[in-house]
Amino acid sequence: MSLFWLSVGFGFVTASVLAVAAVGLSLQFGITNYVNFAYGDFMALGGFFAYVLNSEVLHLNIWIALVLGSLLMGVFAVIVNRLILGPFARRFTKPHYVLIVTFGLSLIMLNAEYSIWGAQVRFFRMPIAPALHIGPLLLTRNQLIVIAIAIALMLGVHTLLKATRLGKSMRAMSDNTTLAMTSGIDTKRITTITWFLSGTLAGVAGTVLGIGEGNLTPASGELFLFVIFAAVILGGVGSIYGAMGGALLIGLATEISAAFINPAYKLDIAFVLLILTLLIRPSGLIARPGTT
Amino acid sequence: MLDSTTGRPERAAALRCEGITKAFQGVHAVNGASFDVPEGQITALIGPNGAGKTTVVNILSGAMRCDSGRAFIGTTEITNRPSHTIARLGLLRTFQLSRELGGLTVLENMLVAPADQAGESFVNLLLRPGLIERQEREHAERALALLDTYGLYDHRDTRARELSGGQKKLLEIARAVMASPTILLLDEPMAGVNPALIELIGGYIVDLKEHGVTVLMIEHNLNVVEKICDYVIVLAEGRTLATGRLSELRENTDVVKAYLGEVIDAGASH
Amino acid sequence: MVYYIFTLVFFCFDYFILAMGLNIQYGEAGILNFAYIGFVAIGAYFTGVFSLPSSAGTGQHYILGLGLPFPVNLLLGGLAAMFFALIVALITLRRLRTDYLAIVLISLSLVLYDFCNNFVSLFNGADGLYNVPEPFAKAFGLTVNSFIPFFACVTAVISLLMWFVMSRVMRAPVGRTFRAIRDDEVVAAALGKNVFLMRLKAMLIGSFYAGVGGGLLIQFGGSFNPTAWLPGETFVVFAVLIVGGAGNNIGMFVGALLVETLLIHLPAFLPEIPGHPGLIEYFDNAVVGIVLMLMLWFRPQGVVPERLRRAASFGVRSGLGMLPQAPIEPAALDRP
Repeated sequence: MSLFWLSVGFGFVTASVLAVAAVGLSLQFGITNYVNFAYGDFMALGGFFAYVLNSEVLHLNIWIALVLGSLLMGVFAVIVNRLILGPFARRFTKPHYVLIVTFGLSLIMLNAEYSIWGAQVRFFRMPIAPALHIGPLLLTRNQLIVIAIAIALMLGVHTLLKATRLGKSMRAMSDNTTLAMTSGIDTKRITTITWFLSGTLAGVAGTVLGIGEGNLTPASGELFLFVIFAAVILGGVGSIYGAMGGALLIGLATEISAAFINPAYKLDIAFVLLILTLLIRPSGLIARPGTT
Repeated sequence: MLDSTTGRPERAAALRCEGITKAFQGVHAVNGASFDVPEGQITALIGPNGAGKTTVVNILSGAMRCDSGRAFIGTTEITNRPSHTIARLGLLRTFQLSRELGGLTVLENMLVAPADQAGESFVNLLLRPGLIERQEREHAERALALLDTYGLYDHRDTRARELSGGQKKLLEIARAVMASPTILLLDEPMAGVNPALIELIGGYIVDLKEHGVTVLMIEHNLNVVEKICDYVIVLAEGRTLATGRLSELRENTDVVKAYLGEVIDAGASH
Repeated sequence: MVYYIFTLVFFCFDYFILAMGLNIQYGEAGILNFAYIGFVAIGAYFTGVFSLPSSAGTGQHYILGLGLPFPVNLLLGGLAAMFFALIVALITLRRLRTDYLAIVLISLSLVLYDFCNNFVSLFNGADGLYNVPEPFAKAFGLTVNSFIPFFACVTAVISLLMWFVMSRVMRAPVGRTFRAIRDDEVVAAALGKNVFLMRLKAMLIGSFYAGVGGGLLIQFGGSFNPTAWLPGETFVVFAVLIVGGAGNNIGMFVGALLVETLLIHLPAFLPEIPGHPGLIEYFDNAVVGIVLMLMLWFRPQGVVPERLRRAASFGVRSGLGMLPQAPIEPAALDRP
C-alpha cells in the first residue's frame, strides 16, 4: 500500500511538470495552429539555461536560476518564431512544411546542446531536502515546491485568459484568427507574446523536470515530448484546461502503473492512453469549440 | 413539364433530400431542407448568403455529415455515405473556390477522374500492363477531346496551379465531366468570371443537360438562372422556401415578400 | 581506402532505397510518416533474426533464429515491415489529420525505441543483435576486406531493381492518384477515390522499401543497435528526400549522394577533436537540419524537381484532328 501512495506522490510531481509543459504547448498550438515538434528541446534548453546560471556562472540559487533561465527561454522562443517558424508558416500554407521545419529545429537544437554540453548527465546544485509526510504521501521539499510552482502557474494562466484583455484577445485568436484580425486585434503582437509564454513555460517545465528526475541531459525533453502529446491529446488539442486535466491523468497513470509493472515501460503506458484516446474520442476529453 | 398547381416536378427525382439539418456550434446552417432535383434538367439552388446552399451541396456529395434527415440518388439512400462512394454512384461536384490539383498537369487532372482505373491496382500493374496502357490511351484521348471543347487543350501540359482563375473554373467542370457523371453539383460555376466566360460556361451546362446529365447548380446571377435553368429551389435560413420555375416564383407573393422581391426585380430589370 | 569508398557507396545506395520508400509515402501520397525509421528498424531486426541461427547458446535473446539464406531473409524483413505498417495504418490512417498523424507517428517512433531498449527477451535490450551472418561470405570465401566491396555492389544491384519497380509504380495511374490525394484529398474523394485505401497502398509499398533498406543495413554492419533507430534518423531520410526533390526518384539518388554520403558519412572519417568526443557527429547532425531548412526556403522543389508528365507520354497520337469528336460520354442514367 505504501508503494501505491509513494507512486501517487511521484504522479503529482510528474503531473505538475506535464501540466506546465502541456499548457505551454497548447497555448502556442491554439494561436499558430501547428504542432511544435522541437518543444521537447525547448524544455531541455530551458533546463540547461537554468543549469548554467545555477552551476557554471553566477552560481545562483536553483529557484532564481529557474526563473531567469525560463525567461531567457521565452526570449529564445520569440527569436526562433521571428527568424524561422513564423516565415515558414506564412510562406507555406500546407501544414506539413512547417511540421518538418520544427522537426528539423528539434534535430538542430538537440545536437547543438550535445555540442555545447556533451552527453554526460548533469545535476543541479541544490540543497538536499528532507522528505515530508503529507497525509499518506511522502514528498521532498523540492518536489512540493515543484507542485506549488505548477499550481501557481496554472492559476496564473487561468487568470490571464479569463480576466485580462490580452487573454481575451488570445482566446479570440485561437478560435478564429481571421475574425480576430478583422476585429482589430494585433495578431502579430499576440503571436509574439504567446511564443514568449510558451517558451517560458517550456523552460520552467524543463528545469522542474531536471529537478524532479534529479538529472538533466540534452535528450531529457525528447523522450518526454510524447508524454506531453499524450496529455494534450487526452485533454483535447488546443484546450488549455483539457491540457491541465490530461496532464494530471497521464502523470498519475504513468507513475502508478510503474508501481505495478516494470517501471521501464511507464512511457509506453502514456502511448497506449494516447492511442486509445485517438481511437475512442479523437477530439479529446474536452472538445475544443471551433474544431469539428 | 411542371405540375402547375404544386410546382413539383413531374419527372422522377434524380436526387432528393428529406429534412436535412446541420448545425455548427449550435447554429443551424441547414434546418430541414427538403427538395427533389428532377432528372435530366438544370436546377438552380438560390438563396441569400448564409442560406446553407454550400452546406447542402457538401452534405449531398458526402464532404460533410448531416445531423439528421436523409438523402437519395434515385432510390438509393446516400445519407452520410463517404464522398468516394457517392461519386461512384454517379454524383460529381465542383467547388466554389476552384480546387485544382496544383502539382499535376491539366491533362493529369483530367486523367485522375475516371473511376475504377485498372492501373490503380498493384496486381494489374504486375499482371496486366497491356490493359493499363490501353485504358490510359483511351482516357487520354477522351480527356484531350474534352480539353479541346473547354478551350484548355493548349494548356494540357501546364501544371494546374499555373492556370488563371477562369481556366481553373473550366478545368474544375471539365474534370467532373471526365468522371462521367449522371448528376453534377456545381457550386457557383460562374462566380468571379468575366461575362464572356459566363456565356461559355452556360453553354457547356446546357450541353451537359442535352447529354442526359442532371445538373444542380448554386447560382446568384438570376439572368443565368432565367436563361438556362428549368427549375429553381429557394433556400432561406436553411429551409426550402419554395420550388418551381422562376416565372412562377415571381408570382408567388409569399416568396417575394419573404425575400425574393428585390432580387428578382433587380435580376429582371437588367 | 577501398574500404572507405565502398562504405560510402553502400550507404548511398541503401539510402536511395530508403528515400524511395519515404518518397512514395510523403512525396507522392502526402503521408507525413515521422515514424519511418521505426519501419526500417523492424525490417533490420527481422532480416537479422531470420538469418541468425537459433538463439540457444549464443548469449543473445531473440525470436525465430531460422538461419535462412540471404535474399530470403531480406524479403521476409521487408514483408515484416509491411505487416507492421498494415497494423499502424489501420489504426491511424483512417481518421487522423496531418498533424495528429505526425504526433502519433513520432510518438510511435519514440516508443518503439524505448521498447526495443528495454525488452531484453525479445530485442536483447540495449545490446541489440550482433554476429549476424554476412551473406555469401562462406560460399565465396570472402574476407572482412573483400566483403564490403562485394556487398556494396549487391546493394547497388538491389537498389537499381527496386528503382525500376518504383518508377513503374509512379508512372502508372496509381502514382497519379497518390499525387492527386497529396495535392487535395477532398477533391480526390469527390472524384471517387478511396483516400484511405490508396494511402494504405502507399504506406505498405513504402514500408517494404524501408524494411529492405533496414535489412541491408543490418547485413552490412552485422549488428542491430537500438540507438541507430532514434526518431532523429527519420529526419535524415526526410533531408535526403527534400534535398533531392520530393516526387522524383532520380532526386532520391542525388539526395542520398549529397546528404547521406557527403554530409553524414564523409565527416565520420574525420579525426575526433581531442577532448570533445562526438562533437563532429553532433555538429554534422545539426548541419543536416540547417541544410534542410535552407533547401526548403530557397529551393523547395529540391535539386531534381518533380517531372512534368507530358501528354505525349500517354501514347496518344498527336494532333487534334485524330481525336474522336463526341467529347462527352453519354451518361448512363440507369446507374444505381
